[in-house]
Amino acid sequence: MHELSLAQNIVDSVLAEANAKGATRVLELRIEVGELMQIDRRALRFGLKLLMTGPLLEGARLRVNLKRASFRCRRCGAEWDMAEARNQLARVAPSLLVQEPDSRELPLHFFPYLYPAFIRCPKCGSSDASAIEGKDLELTKLAMETRP
Amino acid sequence: MSLKGAIGAAAAGHRLRRIGRVVLVGSGKGGVGKSTVACSLALTLAETNLRTGLLDLDIHGASVPGYLGIGPPVVSGREGLMPKMRRRLKVMSVGFFTGDNPVPMRGGDKAEMISQLFGLTDWGDLDYLVVDLPPSMGDELLASIGLFGEKSILLLVTTPSPASVEVVSRMGRLARDEGVPILGTVVNMAYVKSGRTELFPFGRPSRGRLRRGIGTDLAWAVPLEPALSLRRVDEVLGTGTDFARVFYRIAASVEESGRHASRTRKGDSRPVRERGPS
Repeated sequence: MHELSLAQNIVDSVLAEANAKGATRVLELRIEVGELMQIDRRALRFGLKLLMTGPLLEGARLRVNLKRASFRCRRCGAEWDMAEARNQLARVAPSLLVQEPDSRELPLHFFPYLYPAFIRCPKCGSSDASAIEGKDLELTKLAMETRP
Repeated sequence: MSLKGAIGAAAAGHRLRRIGRVVLVGSGKGGVGKSTVACSLALTLAETNLRTGLLDLDIHGASVPGYLGIGPPVVSGREGLMPKMRRRLKVMSVGFFTGDNPVPMRGGDKAEMISQLFGLTDWGDLDYLVVDLPPSMGDELLASIGLFGEKSILLLVTTPSPASVEVVSRMGRLARDEGVPILGTVVNMAYVKSGRTELFPFGRPSRGRLRRGIGTDLAWAVPLEPALSLRRVDEVLGTGTDFARVFYRIAASVEESGRHASRTRKGDSRPVRERGPS
């Protein structure tokens, strides 16, 4: 469900960017989805395809790739990946899971920036952990045709 | 191009179009009762048949869920995350997602968190959104001013203590610099009633001092209400005490300010006078 909202917001953002640059047609879109967001990329891609209509977006090539998440402890310098983070996220209290029609999702699915509330350094236990990458949505390519 | 800011802004922009006015409740100082004031004002506005929401932006110390006796889980619907309801009030708080976990979030991430929390919530059509700001003049305040823009008005909260008035005055100056109109100042814990006698355990700030420091002569004296330590805010408001009555007057000024703003250009807000500190 959240993927469809995200798709709508991505399309709105791309249209705003394309219009601001005077584009006549968008040729290609490449999006990187941060692993921490735990987004269903197939659902996101489906939503984007559904919404990419109209003269600017119809027919544009679309790629939705995964950006692996990695973390570093600001205290001891230890680094870890999403597999370790998943172990910790499995302990999130069930009452904090967001209820979707067919599933229950971690708060990070909606608010990836809340990770400091749930992820600790596996080496020293500090809460001062940083998600180095993999917590955002990135538009890595936006190819457009513009007016001559 | 990072989509994070753009996506938060796109979602927030859609929501904001359906909201009449945003009342930022802040002080810059901790422990003055901002959350109690924000909850009480929002509940009073909702009680007077105005469509009202309450957004708790205290990322590190969300207290609105406790004051209103509501908590997780949150349900996701077709149009976004469903706010929790208390009486007629729609409520969203970071605390619904973090429970009793500490949230050691750093500055730069807060603006995005605020934008997403507001933008992903299905507020529907609102006359007023009351925003409970955390005790600082940092990221949360600046992000809120950027997010809510010309729809926002600031309600300052202080205690009678000179130290509190001084910090709140600084916040008032910041708001003026940023072009945010100030509705007025709530002097919280201003007095306590013993029978028919009003006692002023923390002193009495003069109206002149508030005017000089904050630049508005509109102030409300809110009494210490011991029942708040035992009962939910909405239960205390239903008792017809001085505490409840003053929030009807503040709500009336919010409405008056909204009508005034729709008649005049930005920044030209002239608050009406109100009984309050001497």
